[in-house]
Amino acid sequence: MDNAGILVVDDDREIAGAIEKLLESEGFQVQKAYDGKEALEALVSGGIQLILMDVMMPRLDGLSATLKIRESRNIPIIILSAKSEDSDKILGLSMGADDYVTKPFNPDELVARVKSQLRRYMLLGDMGNGSKANQIAIGGLLLDNDAKQLTVDGEPVHLTAKEFQILEFLMKHAGMVFSAEKIYERVWNEKPYSVENTVMVHIRRIREKIEINPKEPNYLKVVWGIGYKIEKI
Amino acid sequence: MDTRLRRFSTNGMTKFLAFAIVVLALAAVVVQIQYAEYINGNVESLIVDNYIDSEEFYYGQVQNSLYRVSRAIEEGEEVEGTSDCIYFAADKEKTFGNTIWTEREFYEQYGETFYYLENGEWKAGENANPPRQYTLVDNTEAIAYVAFTDEYMAGKQVEWEANRAVLKPLALRIAAIVSLALLLIVYLIWATGRKPDDRELHMAKIDAVYSDILLALFLPAIGAWVVSIGEFAFSRNRLFDGLGMNEVFSMALAGGATVVAVAVCGVLLLSLVRKLKAGKLLKHSLIFVAFAASYDFFKSLFDGRRFKGNTHTKSLFKRQWVFIVASAVMVFLTFMFLFMSALPLALLPPIMEMMIIYWHIKVNNKTFLEINKGFDESLGEQMKAERMKIALVTNVSHDLKTPLTSMVSYVDLLSKEDDLPDSARDYVQILSEKTNRLKNIVSDLFDLAKSTSGDISMEMEKIDIKKLIEQTIGDMSDEIEKSGLKMKTKLPENQVMIFSDGKKLYRVFQNIIDNALKYSLEGSRVFVELEEADGFAVATVKNTASYEMDYTADEMLQRFSRGDKSRSTEGSGLGLSIAESFTKVCGGNMKVIVDGDLFKVSVSFQMDE
Repeated sequence: MDNAGILVVDDDREIAGAIEKLLESEGFQVQKAYDGKEALEALVSGGIQLILMDVMMPRLDGLSATLKIRESRNIPIIILSAKSEDSDKILGLSMGADDYVTKPFNPDELVARVKSQLRRYMLLGDMGNGSKANQIAIGGLLLDNDAKQLTVDGEPVHLTAKEFQILEFLMKHAGMVFSAEKIYERVWNEKPYSVENTVMVHIRRIREKIEINPKEPNYLKVVWGIGYKIEKI
Repeated sequence: MDTRLRRFSTNGMTKFLAFAIVVLALAAVVVQIQYAEYINGNVESLIVDNYIDSEEFYYGQVQNSLYRVSRAIEEGEEVEGTSDCIYFAADKEKTFGNTIWTEREFYEQYGETFYYLENGEWKAGENANPPRQYTLVDNTEAIAYVAFTDEYMAGKQVEWEANRAVLKPLALRIAAIVSLALLLIVYLIWATGRKPDDRELHMAKIDAVYSDILLALFLPAIGAWVVSIGEFAFSRNRLFDGLGMNEVFSMALAGGATVVAVAVCGVLLLSLVRKLKAGKLLKHSLIFVAFAASYDFFKSLFDGRRFKGNTHTKSLFKRQWVFIVASAVMVFLTFMFLFMSALPLALLPPIMEMMIIYWHIKVNNKTFLEINKGFDESLGEQMKAERMKIALVTNVSHDLKTPLTSMVSYVDLLSKEDDLPDSARDYVQILSEKTNRLKNIVSDLFDLAKSTSGDISMEMEKIDIKKLIEQTIGDMSDEIEKSGLKMKTKLPENQVMIFSDGKKLYRVFQNIIDNALKYSLEGSRVFVELEEADGFAVATVKNTASYEMDYTADEMLQRFSRGDKSRSTEGSGLGLSIAESFTKVCGGNMKVIVDGDLFKVSVSFQMDE
């Protein structure tokens, strides 16, 4: 994985250059393309395991290029865009992208996201689709109920017993929203009384452990004014 | 004019004193005249030295007596009432008199006051003033003698002189007071509206009243004075001469009434004078204003100035008048021909009228079409401008973020270089901090721009605002702990449902609490409360500022405004503006209250049952 090939697509040469340096310092092989068309051509020559794709580009824009690539390839694509609206993110992800990073990005976060996608693609990819019995897999999260063990993109993460139980409960019902009271009842087995803060603090700790950027979580989300949920990916 | 004198003469105190003196002086004059009346003073005694030469004697005694004697002769009766004169009268049938003397010689000895009837006409004695003609037509042969005795005249003369002795000082006093008052009135007319500090004309509050109303107000003031003077001063039955308690009381009342009347009239007069000086005495009158306004209104109906600059509507307006006038002429012509019994000719105007109607409709329709076209165009342009504004926000956002991305990335790369000298490392550190701050500002700026321009997508749903506040506090527990402040919450037991966008409302509370954490006095408490009031959920965050907030709540919400002392290198200064703007798009209302060092933000939403 360390010398995986990464294609950086951005019409701004300075940004492409900066990302190249950044990733090369992490040991990746970097190729650059300055628009969607060049990106498609570069893919043909092979040796690429991940694509970083800008959206607004001349000739062929990033979203169209993503659609085209998805026709034939299952390679991870991270969209890099100055558009930061929720609707832009949803559009990008529905076009087949695996992640969405807004500009200006935090370089460390970008590297973390690249590594996360690569691990999932290269390590988990061959683990196949079926998770074993008593295992729940959502995105890069794999919760093993027998071993009481959680891995994120293959990396084991240490959770406290309560944190594990909360995550297990939410992952079992991925996509469903639960109130703090409900979570407390199920995890603590006690009558809930003024528990919002307790649950919220736990949720925050879990987020810090499993999310690359806890402020913009991919998995564990707060539904403000209602409750909490694990995104169904 | 000498400045010191001017300062004194235009001083408010001086003017007030002068005004008061005028008022009191005129009241004093009235009271003095009333006093003269009470002591039965006759003003004539001031001018005429001898009683015998006075009008009082001539009309009051001589003419009166002659008249009564004449009447007695004509009617054949006794002289009515008592008389101060002595007389004797005789005709064919009878004689009468109030003395025992019947000879002319007796009466003639009082030459200056002797009168006799001869051939039906009254004649005066040698030195007496000739009487006014009083002719007896039927009794031409009657004779009569009338005279006033020397003792009577001497007594009257003494009385006359005594009267003068009393009236003379009184009259002098009144004259002096009146001239003083007149002088002061002239001074007041000169000084009113002037102030020591400048040469401007200053209007008073009462000058806002229209001139004609001011004038009209004189009537009730003077009327009330006349009535009350009549009531207090002259209505008493003056059986006694001189002053009693009643008279003193009446004089006080009359004086008081005069003070009031003069004060009111004086204020009105000075107001009119000021308006005259300002040259708006006539213009600022109700009649003038009403006339000018109605004139202007009717003129505006006909001169088409309301459509100035709008060529289409103006041509419609003009055409309308042409149509009305032409139609009126046609109607007139039709009736004229009908009355002349010229039937074939009477058909002509209706035909022309039909042509006029056709022309009017046709040309107007064309104008209407043109107006519609212009309206559509301007509407289209407005929408285009709106779209461009939104596109501008998006494009500027992209154009700012792209170079910022390079800056962030290269600063990061630079900071990872190993062989940098220490000073360069410091510089890179500063660059890194500043680019991060710039990043936050740009991000906040576009959040704000989007929410204020309305170009923001909303996900409205039923949420529990109590839960949301708890979640926000839980989410920020690290920051709260780090700040060293104590967070005191007072939330209701049960849920408080509202209809809003939870994610944006989270930003609202995050920004408000973040603001409280940043600018609170060290070690103080931050209060977060939620109340239900009149169907509204009101969330309040209160904190004690660490610096003096010398600006208003409104300034607080202005973009980028921040207390000078609180300016730091973090934050964009947009936190509260974003909170307010987001609250608005979420359907709520945000208020900021600054009370000394207490800073209070309250957010209210209508509750959803």
